[in-house]
This record gives sequence, structure tokens and C-alpha cells, in this order.
Amino acid sequence: MSAYYLGIDIGSVGGKAIIIDDSRKIVALSVVPSGTNYSTTAAGLKEDVLNKAGLKLADIKDSSSTGTGGRNAKTDSYHGVIVCNARGVNLLFPSARTIVDIGGQGSQLIDIDENGQVINFNISEICATGSARLLQLVARILQLNIEDLGSLSLKSTHPSSFSTSCTVFLETEVITRIAQGDKPEDIVAGIHRSIADKISALARGVSIRPEVAVIGGGALDIGLVRSIEEKLGQKVLVPQNPRIIAALGAALIARNLSR
Amino acid sequence: MPGMDNQTSHLHFAGIDIGSTMSKAAVVDAEGRMLAYVVGQTGAEHRLRANKLMEDTLHKAGLPLSDIAYIISTGYGRVNVPFADKQVTELTCHAKGVAALFPEVKTAIDIGGQDAKVLKIRNGRLVDFLTNDKCAAGTGRFLEVAAETLGLELNEMGRISLQTDTPVKINSLCTIFAQQEIISRLSEGQPLPDILAGVYIAIATRVVKLARQLKVEAPVVFTGGVAKNAGMVKAMETVLGLPLLVPEEPLITGCLGAAILARDEAFKLVQHGEYQAQRDKKLTEARIDFGEKSR
Repeated sequence: MSAYYLGIDIGSVGGKAIIIDDSRKIVALSVVPSGTNYSTTAAGLKEDVLNKAGLKLADIKDSSSTGTGGRNAKTDSYHGVIVCNARGVNLLFPSARTIVDIGGQGSQLIDIDENGQVINFNISEICATGSARLLQLVARILQLNIEDLGSLSLKSTHPSSFSTSCTVFLETEVITRIAQGDKPEDIVAGIHRSIADKISALARGVSIRPEVAVIGGGALDIGLVRSIEEKLGQKVLVPQNPRIIAALGAALIARNLSR
Repeated sequence: MPGMDNQTSHLHFAGIDIGSTMSKAAVVDAEGRMLAYVVGQTGAEHRLRANKLMEDTLHKAGLPLSDIAYIISTGYGRVNVPFADKQVTELTCHAKGVAALFPEVKTAIDIGGQDAKVLKIRNGRLVDFLTNDKCAAGTGRFLEVAAETLGLELNEMGRISLQTDTPVKINSLCTIFAQQEIISRLSEGQPLPDILAGVYIAIATRVVKLARQLKVEAPVVFTGGVAKNAGMVKAMETVLGLPLLVPEEPLITGCLGAAILARDEAFKLVQHGEYQAQRDKKLTEARIDFGEKSR
């Protein structure tokens, strides 16, 4: 019988749990909003992912957690989200050398080697600029679903330009652009460019080496991914489920620690 | 008074400041004394606002437009004042206005709806400045977001914050993140006055950091819409460690400075014998505009 490993990532927006087996195959995963009580969220995630896998807690050989609220998850160990992202990406894309993580509260640029070890990283977390937070705001103003921003943005022919990168001021500027008659697709495309600019500015001190993997909630937005490709001048890799990479990394670390 | 003679002593001058949030206008006499001012919301229609504001200010001063010899516009919307003779940047106007009210001023700190400025002033002249309009933290916008989050009026917020001497520490440097931090502090059960006082300290810390890049020298004058907030004045004095001079109406230093500069400009034209022609031209344009747009 195989051994199972649990990884839990409680981020600022979403909580994710994943169970892998000894051969590093994903057995089950669960994604929920992080909520305000991380301990409750983590307990619920654990229960849900175990149910989905048809396993009991006793079947889990080792567990790890990561993310802003990960320390509330009562796992065997806790690891930084950068290391977890690196491990997770390395499993899915062994050729990836740079990771762009676009999270709800901030973005990260991580250089990794062929073994998924972190070489260098740069994070933006003092400011909402360059994070997926802006996408939420724009979706709200334009009365769109956040999932629809990407395909809409691809229709843009004249992306709006914005004079500020501050998320708060951008909110006002988006309203001004609407008043000036800019089309929703042009506004969204302009916002995507603005985020891509901010992310590429993180490249100071971190080199961008192919291949580049884009992960985090922001990677679900195809328009944003295209803007990043344009900005970096190269195609990027996007996992099928970009939000669960840190949780996957945590599960991989749990597996390594128990062997 | 340089440039003054019988030709100019009966004249009046106006300054109009179209800011991101508030618009202000003032009228001064030939001695540079302020006769009237009016403050109003800027709104979306700058031109309409500018016309209405000028009209209201003239009404308050009891003067017809034909008595205004020269008008200077300033502020973020200064290009949208069709009847102005000249546009001048808000920094110059602001320094002039602050020095008119407080001749000894060495440092002026202005926190507006969407920006913050620090001015070094020597003998009434602007010698150095720094501004922040890139980041909402450290501007009035931060207060608006906090007020919105808490469902409070801005002046109410100031009053409540004065009830405590133990402000909560707000760690986030970004307005967006601070908003979340305020919510978590509330859910932790921290008292509202402590949270509000913490919000003011957070903004003050940002602005003082900007100010310290230039050397802060007393006397320090504090202006802009945010200076109307008692909680903010207290927080600024605490963080700066200096007492602040706050004008009775902290919003009008820009338009007052513009009006005084209008007076200086008109006197210069008089000295060069170019004044009369300029005046006729401008007044005709202004009248047409008034007639069409605000009546």
C-alpha cells in the first residue's frame, strides 16, 4: 500500500490542500476561500481533501503547510511559500528556471535550478501593485466576473494607458477611462499591461531565464499571461491548476522529509 | 507698493485653484488683502465648476467681473479655467499663499486629496520641494478609504481618534493592505479610537518621511484638506515632534497665492505699459464664457 502526503497552503485569498502518493502523483485536491479564521479553514480543507481521496488522517504519512495562514494548519512542518513554489514548479515543469507567482496580495519572481532549489528571489508585498488584487477591483468596477477578464482583454485593439501604478489611484483612473469612452476590453488590456510592467520590474536582481512558469491566481487570467509573455519577450508555461503549486510543493517536501 | 499708482489702486485680482477633490477661489485687493474666498467640490465638469466658483467668489466680494484686473489659475485642473490670464503651478502659488499668511514660514506641508507636498520656503519664496502623487498612502485618499471601510464621516473620524493616546500600530504601507489590516484590528476587538489614531499616525509617518528628505525647519505650516482634520494635526505633531501652524481655512493657500501672484503680474504689466490691452481682451472672453456656461 502506498504512503500519502498532505500539503496545505493558506494564502491571502485562497486555501488549498493537496494529497500526493509515494510516486508524487496528485490523488486529490481542494481549494476554498481563506476566510477569516485560518484554523477553521485548514481543518475544513483537510477534511475535504481526505474525503475526496477516500483516505483517513491516519493514512497520511507526513504533512506540511505554507502560506500566510499556513501556521494555523497543524501539520508536521511549515515551509516558506517560495521554497514550496520552487518544488511544485520543478515537479510539473523540470525545464522551468524562473517562476512568476501572481498572488492575491503580491507577486514573486523566483530563480530555480534544475533540482528545484531556489537560487534567488524578489517579492513585492509592501504594495498591492503588481498583484492579482487589481484584477478583482477592475472586475468589480466593470461589473464582470474575474474569470472573464482574460478572454475579454484578448479582444482589445487599443489598450488603455494609465498614468499611475498605485492600485488605489488606478481604480479612479479606470473610472475616468470609462467616462472617456474607453472600451472595457481596452481598459482590461491596459490593466494587464500595467501589472506585467510591475512584475517585470521585480526582475531587478533576479534574472529571467527560460523557461518561465507563471503560477498563482493571476495565471488563470489568459490576458495577463499574454501581457507577461509580451513584456518578457518569450512564451511562458502555465500549469493546468496554477493556484495549487505551493500546496503541491508543501506535499513534496513532506514526502521528502519522511523518506 | 511697487508698480502702484492711481491706475491700479482700485483694482482687484483673483486666484482659482482646481484641485483633484476640491476647488477654491479667492479675490484680493491692490494691497494683497483677501476680500473673499469660496471652496467647493471639483466634480467632473472642471469648466463649469471654475465659472460657478468665480461667480460665487465675486458675489461674496460684492464685485463685478469687470473689476478683476487679472486672474491666475492653478492646481491639477488649471488648464480648464477659460477665463484665466495665466496658469501657474500649484507649488509656486502655494508657497506664495502660505508666506502671505505666515511670513516667517520655513517649511510647508500640504496633504491634499490625492497627493502630498513638502515645500521649503525662504523669505516668502519657494526654494525646494518634494511631492508624492504616485502612491495613495500618505495622501487624503488613504483617509477616505479608511472612512469608507469604517462607515464614518471624515470629521467624525478625527474627533473619535482624539479620545485615545494609545494608537494601534498599522504596519501596512499600502492603502489596500491597510484597509484589510483595519478590518482585522476591528475583528480582534481593538477599540475604534485606537484604530483611527493608528490610521492617522500611519499617514503622518509616510508624509514626515517625505518631509525629512528635505530638512524640516520650524516654523512649519500644515495645509490642504487633510489639515482640517484635528486627528491628523495631532498625529503630524506627534510624528514630527514640532508644533504646526494651521491656517483658519487650510484649503485656500493655493488660490490665495494665485490671487497675490495675479496682482504682482498685473503690476508688472502696468510698469511695462502693456496692461490695458491685455485686460480688455481677457475680460471680453471671460464674459462670453460666463454667459454661455453658467447662466
